[in-house]
Amino acid sequence: MGQAKKNTIDEIGKRTYTSFARINGDHPFKSQVPGGCVEYKARHRRGGKVAFFNFDLAKEMGLLPKSHPAQLNPELEREILETFSLVIINEYDVMNNVKVTEEDVYPKTFMATRYLQLQHPDKSGRTSGDGRSIWNGTVRANGITWDISSCGTGATKLSPACNINKKFYQTGDPSISYGCGLSEVSEGLETLFFSEVLNKNKLRTERILAIIEHEKGLGINVRANPNLMRPSHFFGHLKQGNHATLKQVADYYINRQLENKAWPLANFRNDKDKYFSLAREVARSFSEAAARFEDEYIFCWLDWDGDNILMDGGIIDYGSIRQFGLFHAEYRYDDVQRFSTTILEQKQKAKYIVQCFVQIADFLTTGKKRSLSSFRNHALLGFFDHHFNECKDRNLLQKIGFRKEQQELLLKGNRSHVAKFRKAFTYFERAKSKRGLYKVADGVTRDAVFCMRDILREFPQLYLTRQALLPAEDFIEVIRSSYARRSDLRLTPIRCKQIARFQDTYLALVGALARVTGTDRKHLLLELTMRASIINKYDRVTGDSISFIVQKVQKVRPKLPPQELFELTRQFTTYQNLNPDQKRAQDTVPGRHRNILQNFYSIVRDCREGI
Amino acid sequence: MKLVLFSGGGDGENLDLDRAFVEVLNKRNPVVTFIPSSSYLSEQEFKVFVKHYSKYRISRFIHFPIDVPFDRIMFTEVMRSDAIHLAGGNTFYFLRSLRRAKLLNELRRFVERGGVLTGLSAGAILMTSDIDMAGYPDFDRDENSVGLKNLSSLGLVDFAFFPHFRNSTRYDTVFKKYSKVKKKLIYACPDGAGIVINGPELRFIGKTFAFSEGHKFVIN
Repeated sequence: MGQAKKNTIDEIGKRTYTSFARINGDHPFKSQVPGGCVEYKARHRRGGKVAFFNFDLAKEMGLLPKSHPAQLNPELEREILETFSLVIINEYDVMNNVKVTEEDVYPKTFMATRYLQLQHPDKSGRTSGDGRSIWNGTVRANGITWDISSCGTGATKLSPACNINKKFYQTGDPSISYGCGLSEVSEGLETLFFSEVLNKNKLRTERILAIIEHEKGLGINVRANPNLMRPSHFFGHLKQGNHATLKQVADYYINRQLENKAWPLANFRNDKDKYFSLAREVARSFSEAAARFEDEYIFCWLDWDGDNILMDGGIIDYGSIRQFGLFHAEYRYDDVQRFSTTILEQKQKAKYIVQCFVQIADFLTTGKKRSLSSFRNHALLGFFDHHFNECKDRNLLQKIGFRKEQQELLLKGNRSHVAKFRKAFTYFERAKSKRGLYKVADGVTRDAVFCMRDILREFPQLYLTRQALLPAEDFIEVIRSSYARRSDLRLTPIRCKQIARFQDTYLALVGALARVTGTDRKHLLLELTMRASIINKYDRVTGDSISFIVQKVQKVRPKLPPQELFELTRQFTTYQNLNPDQKRAQDTVPGRHRNILQNFYSIVRDCREGI
Repeated sequence: MKLVLFSGGGDGENLDLDRAFVEVLNKRNPVVTFIPSSSYLSEQEFKVFVKHYSKYRISRFIHFPIDVPFDRIMFTEVMRSDAIHLAGGNTFYFLRSLRRAKLLNELRRFVERGGVLTGLSAGAILMTSDIDMAGYPDFDRDENSVGLKNLSSLGLVDFAFFPHFRNSTRYDTVFKKYSKVKKKLIYACPDGAGIVINGPELRFIGKTFAFSEGHKFVIN
């Protein structure tokens, strides 16, 4: 290992990639919330290879100059490995005097943060937190401070295994899986593909900066986000009634949000104003996120510990994240001891998290911890419901293909039309198969029978072409999914009425907008035709498709240098960018990789209606 | 039979061909179907296509990717449309997709019924009897990345068509040779040029070159 991490300051100016030298374990959370983390010494882990590096993200974070080619040179590779290929010296190592070469030891400590996790027996956050991750540090560029953390850097004392079995584990102990402190390259690849697609589609998410590969498919997955704090970072201290640490966490978080301009600059009148502003921001973010998850069919296991989500409603930990092709509203992930929430239950869980933040605000303001139930009628929960509904309406108008300013006009003056269309839309979206609930590989599900993307994509084209409403039989033919059985598609009087209602209310929206804007209805429908064909693309990625794609990548990866994997990811995310206003990207994939991409596309197509 | 073969080119380059297309179409408020060579980012191409032909007061369009499954309703509407446009792209992939979707005969029938079929670059090559021209010459060809062996295509015209032609000795040499050996008539068009077939009439728009029995001719 070079000396960069030992003499950070000396090295700056002598090296090409100086920004990496600042990622050395230093993190403001350590000093501002001393009770919120456990610090570990760490040593360089030899034998690592860079399997992936996100050049675009690195440029955004200021780690690389904008002009840097998407090529990994030996110096950059060395920097990445020296910075991120590390393993903590944990309690087991210390107690057993595990020998470490002195020159391999990093000069500064790295923190594992404490947060609430429901799989811990303690259930109050005293023993839980980052079980196999550490925080590498922060970098600041273009007015934004980024958090960087790595998963797979060794077993900490905050892992469930350590606390359930009441012993410290050696990193890599084969007798336990999750608790051994390591992670797999495939986990990083899943996160990479999924998060880059969601990020391209403007969903908040952690992102993968680098994947370091070690032997036997193990690796370190380096992730970044402008703020990696989760609700669970607050909830542990709330559960314990630890006012001092909870206040430190809240102050730390608020400062970062203001520093990053993620919130409008605020001059808080007093503590009450400050902490209720925090609760309000959480209510806003979580109502938006819950509505978006529901409308994009994203299954994100929200639960009372607030562990699987970031404070701004961003996605973190892709282990159980899925995106469904249809509204499979009864899918539940089987986590051995219990089943997860369903996609429809996410809203209530999100609201519950908001309620907890109201409790936190009150606790921090008054110094007294009142029961959670005493906040069940708080105004911020009303705000949550109101904002959730507003987001649902906006999301639906976006799906139809209306531009932002058109959405505003419709929401302002024609809310009743929007509500009526949403009702008809929801009728079809939530229709379930008569097959009932059944087991799948990782849980249980009940199939949705209609594909709303198909009807939203085809309806404006068909209506423009025919200049007439679709007969019920044709409507069903377009909207039916591969999951639908004949009995699911029966044209009952109610269904026929709903088919007519869907088309009437859709056209009423178009008509209303045409009147307000003085635009020809045909032109609006034509615009919707174009935009809806992108937004409701036939082949949209699902959780299953990501898993299969990662299996393919794993097969070809021995011959795939990091920069080529980066290019493949970039091409794939461009193809999955459903923004109708995007500019088409240049095709830069080498010819030999076209087959791999074709393979990806056909996987996405085959899995497009699944889970 | 109503066909328009576009070589290629940007928005303003095909003005005369576009006018000829609208003339051949000869219908108020027609329905035009856009078939992309591949569904990959085809929604963007469709957007460009719609914006372009909206200038000709066409307002009814269908986007019909064929390398993804499609429903019967859309297919029926496509076959009822007044014009179908076969877009540019990889000719081998496009032909394979048309064949897999069983659309070659459907398109022939569409043309027989009086529908206007237009094609740009790869789309134009597909109207000929085979897509040999897509793999020729060596220095300017589509990659047969799908390993297509059966290159026979729609066979709507009895000549070969070469798009994006550049008037140079290099091309002259290979096309003269090809026309002699294969005994085929080749029409080679630079971007902005093309061929319009309206019943018995065959019209060349823009500068077109013909290669026949080892000789080169300049048309227009």
